Amino acid sequence: MGEDKWAWLVRILAGGTAGLLAALILIPYLMDTRLVDPAVCMLCAGLGGAAGVATLPFADDGKQLLLHSGIHFAVTSALFVLLMARFYGRDWGVLLLLEGLLAVLYALIWLGRWIGWYVEVMRLRTLLGLDAGPSPLKWRETLPYLPFVLLLCDILPLVLRWVEHKINGGWIDIPVLSALILPFVLMPAGGFFAGVSLGKRQGVCPLYPAACFVCCLPMLSLVSTAELFHCFLAAVPALAGNILGWMYRRAVPRKERSDGSHC
Amino acid sequence: MEIRTEPGRQEPKIVILAGAESEELRRLADSLSRLTLGPIPVSRGEEKLLLPQGDFLRFYADGKGVSAQTAGEVYAVPLRLYELEEQLDAARFVRISNAEIINLSRVTAVDLSLSGTICMTLDEAVKVYVSRRYVKKIKETLNLGRRKRNGGG
Repeated sequence: MGEDKWAWLVRILAGGTAGLLAALILIPYLMDTRLVDPAVCMLCAGLGGAAGVATLPFADDGKQLLLHSGIHFAVTSALFVLLMARFYGRDWGVLLLLEGLLAVLYALIWLGRWIGWYVEVMRLRTLLGLDAGPSPLKWRETLPYLPFVLLLCDILPLVLRWVEHKINGGWIDIPVLSALILPFVLMPAGGFFAGVSLGKRQGVCPLYPAACFVCCLPMLSLVSTAELFHCFLAAVPALAGNILGWMYRRAVPRKERSDGSHC
Repeated sequence: MEIRTEPGRQEPKIVILAGAESEELRRLADSLSRLTLGPIPVSRGEEKLLLPQGDFLRFYADGKGVSAQTAGEVYAVPLRLYELEEQLDAARFVRISNAEIINLSRVTAVDLSLSGTICMTLDEAVKVYVSRRYVKKIKETLNLGRRKRNGGG
């Protein structure tokens, strides 16, 4: 048997044993019962085995990595949904939500792994005497736009809400500024045009629309007119603008752009 | 010109003393390093050649045997990859996958795809793909090259 197959087998057995022990120890506490369903034990052992080999697909690259990672996710999610079905029955809404959470967790692990690889590539570039290139996920390149995002998504809603209170003495029928102009005009336009500017300078910066979304979240508890969909009204145009700016950057070569700016 | 002998020394070491670095000096050092490293026998049809190591971008197994690529030509090499590894300058040439050895001094770009594949560009034209299992070895080779350039070993 090859070394790789041994690694898979040992990890599956170790993970499976840990999963089985967890089922035998934790489930009586959680479910307040002395009997543990054998099917639950089997599913926990299976999930433990899947968790044991979770990092092994990342040793491959290219198509092999995608294939192994995809198979691992399919097996894990199947075992997970079967286990959850034992606890929650056939409540498809809950099962779908839990599967979604598992997918998000998987995506976060992938992202973390990708950042690790990227840092490795930056190190290689430095050792080769080449330019290290942009920071992981272009966080450093996105940073100069953060004050604008904070202004647009946090300070502006607070100021507009304060203005509405001042103008109308605390009682308003329709909060035009904070509930209409801000979410439907200012936030989409501001996010979009700043995104275009960032895209033209630095290309696609995924953290910029994410920052727009996250910075809007505190307003849900601070501003009474704020709604969750306002976060999307800031983040989606920000992403669209960023991609448009990146497309412009690709379509118009740097020299042409700088010549145009002198005119 | 001064030649000193050191009893017990295994390999010759060339030291150039100069007041300041210059382009000429760099060219001289480059030529000397090419001379000290053994040339690689290659063939192009019936023609047999010995080419200096610095001319090669990469050596790769292509199913029929081993090929060597320079900036303008592809040659057949009468050696296996592991035999080449023994002959090539260990601070400059490194294996990047089971089937390929590249010249690190000719790398002009390193990129990472979304699926985690590392792609290196040689002389801004030839793209090669690095197996992640060899990344550690590449970093060790680059550190070795750096130490050599800085005067160690």
